[in-house]
Amino acid sequence: MVGPIIDAADIVKDYGSARALHGVSLEVGAGEFLALVGPSGCGKTTLLKILAGFEEPTGGRLEIQGKDMRGVPAANRPTRIVFQKLALFPHKTVAENIGFPLKLQKVAKPESDSRVRAMLDLMHLKPEYLTRYPAQLSGGEQQRVALARALVSQPGVLLLDEPMSALDAKLKKSLQAELKKLHREIGTSFVLVTHDLEEAMMLADRICVMRSGHVVQIGTPADIYYRPANMFVAGFIGETNFLPVTATKTAAGATVTSPLIPGASAEIPAEHVSPALSAAGTALLVRPESTRFVKGDASPGEWVLDGEVEEYFIKGASTQYRIRVAGLPAAVVMDLPGSIVLPARVGESVRVGFQPAHAFLLSE
Amino acid sequence: MQIEQKSWKDPVLIAMVAPLAIVMVVFFLIPLLMTAVLTFQTTQYYRLSWTWNLKIWTEVFSKPHYWTIMLRTVGMAVVCVLLCVLIAYPAAYAMATRLKSYKTQIQILIIFAFLTDAVLKTFGWILILDKNGVANWLLMHIGFPPEMLNLLFSPAGTMIGMVYNLVTYPMFTIYLSLVRIDRDLVLAAYDAGASRLRTFFEVTLPLSRPGLYSGAVLVFVLSLGAFLEPRVLGGGTSPLASELIRQSFETRVNWPLGAALTLVLIAIGALTLAVSAALTLRRRPNQRSAA
Repeated sequence: MVGPIIDAADIVKDYGSARALHGVSLEVGAGEFLALVGPSGCGKTTLLKILAGFEEPTGGRLEIQGKDMRGVPAANRPTRIVFQKLALFPHKTVAENIGFPLKLQKVAKPESDSRVRAMLDLMHLKPEYLTRYPAQLSGGEQQRVALARALVSQPGVLLLDEPMSALDAKLKKSLQAELKKLHREIGTSFVLVTHDLEEAMMLADRICVMRSGHVVQIGTPADIYYRPANMFVAGFIGETNFLPVTATKTAAGATVTSPLIPGASAEIPAEHVSPALSAAGTALLVRPESTRFVKGDASPGEWVLDGEVEEYFIKGASTQYRIRVAGLPAAVVMDLPGSIVLPARVGESVRVGFQPAHAFLLSE
Repeated sequence: MQIEQKSWKDPVLIAMVAPLAIVMVVFFLIPLLMTAVLTFQTTQYYRLSWTWNLKIWTEVFSKPHYWTIMLRTVGMAVVCVLLCVLIAYPAAYAMATRLKSYKTQIQILIIFAFLTDAVLKTFGWILILDKNGVANWLLMHIGFPPEMLNLLFSPAGTMIGMVYNLVTYPMFTIYLSLVRIDRDLVLAAYDAGASRLRTFFEVTLPLSRPGLYSGAVLVFVLSLGAFLEPRVLGGGTSPLASELIRQSFETRVNWPLGAALTLVLIAIGALTLAVSAALTLRRRPNQRSAA
């Protein structure tokens, strides 16, 4: 097993007196697809700029392909970046744009031409686009040209700075699929910055969730979704439910009780308990899709909350319900399989059930 | 709400355009036509006689003296354009990049200089360029022989005045092109492996071309008609077109000749404008942003 392509340790970045990164450590393996995720201002773009060589870290160590990157300008790094707004040269044709890195490396014209054509094929762009200017292409085509320009010189790492955030939903979906396929085909390491955790889960092998300059959690998409480090990570992907509980650690995991369900107590297995569990703000993470309406008797071990339907949204494949429950600050969100018959209407009194043993125990 | 495509028959539109249209017709188009008409007349005993012949045009085309002056004027204009662009580009580049945080202060200073009356500034140069002026005084004090420079009342004096008075035009047009260049394009070039110098020639310079062209054209056309600088700083030893035209009208009272020379000068300017417009339009499709 070769070492990591990117090895960043304790990266600190200050802008004047403001600290953008507080000692971020990160490894990216060869051929890995890593996503940097977090809300605006979390430092993910700053970290990407440091990897690309556009910014020098204030402190810490950065090695790419085993070489220390201190003082190495962007031009001499084995990284290539795809910008958020693509940054295609408007005065150069598609062929000139894609071939630009090769021209700088003084690659002979015939070889350069054939490599540009190969990239064009890889990106499913038509050969007649070669002589066009970026402004004459659609958004999706420009995206592919930008990818081709970044990949033509066979970089060690491809950096992607939210390249799909400006596209409409449908185009975005198809390009996401293509990007994943592309990564599988060429085997280059990808680092994708995005604020969309759903996109990160779809594409990445591992996800690094960041918040205000710190890494909150690094893990596989399944880890991030099913075993989030805390409520911030859990709440980052769409809407979810947190049920405040009191927890006592036991040998087999934890025992939880809820003030909302008098007398009930549940055993949570150890693999459903966050390793970072602390006493403050302990809650059960109940995903909307693991809830149901209880009509009649509850299942064994099931916890049931009484509430009233506040609103529902028909999404086709699923129907989302928001249930107001006395004692909870936010409405309980439920994702139920879509059906032609609505299970409940607005204002109706309902019982919401879920299995606490299947939920995940975490803290703030 | 959609703004409708207004017809030229729309009375409101006509009312809005009319004042400017009337001014342009009465004070620009008609005088221009009158100038053209004048060139087919002759003067006798300092009086205009309505003859309708090509005598003046024959004279203009047969006397090399006029063409020497025209050529000198164009030559001065070309040199002036080169000097202005060479001075303005680095200044505009610095203003758009390194000195970004001071740009307001710098712009205010430049606008102040720009709005100060050109006559005043041009006469000011006499104090500097004079044999006993500030320039020679300074040079002498840092060890050069006294009265080293003798620039006043020479083509060099004219050139200094012209460059000084015109350099702000390309500075602003180039600055405006430079600030419109997306910073990511420069970073993309670095990322692709380009050095700073290479990035400048591959990305920055081509993308600032519209500002460079328009600034150059402005300077060229304005220096073709330069009147003040050659008169105040040039000393009349090597007159330019404007001086020749003035003499034709005033001293020689040969209005048809002055009119013909004026048209020649206008034609040179218009030709330059047309060529540069064609060049700029040819590049228009590439200049649209890819974003």
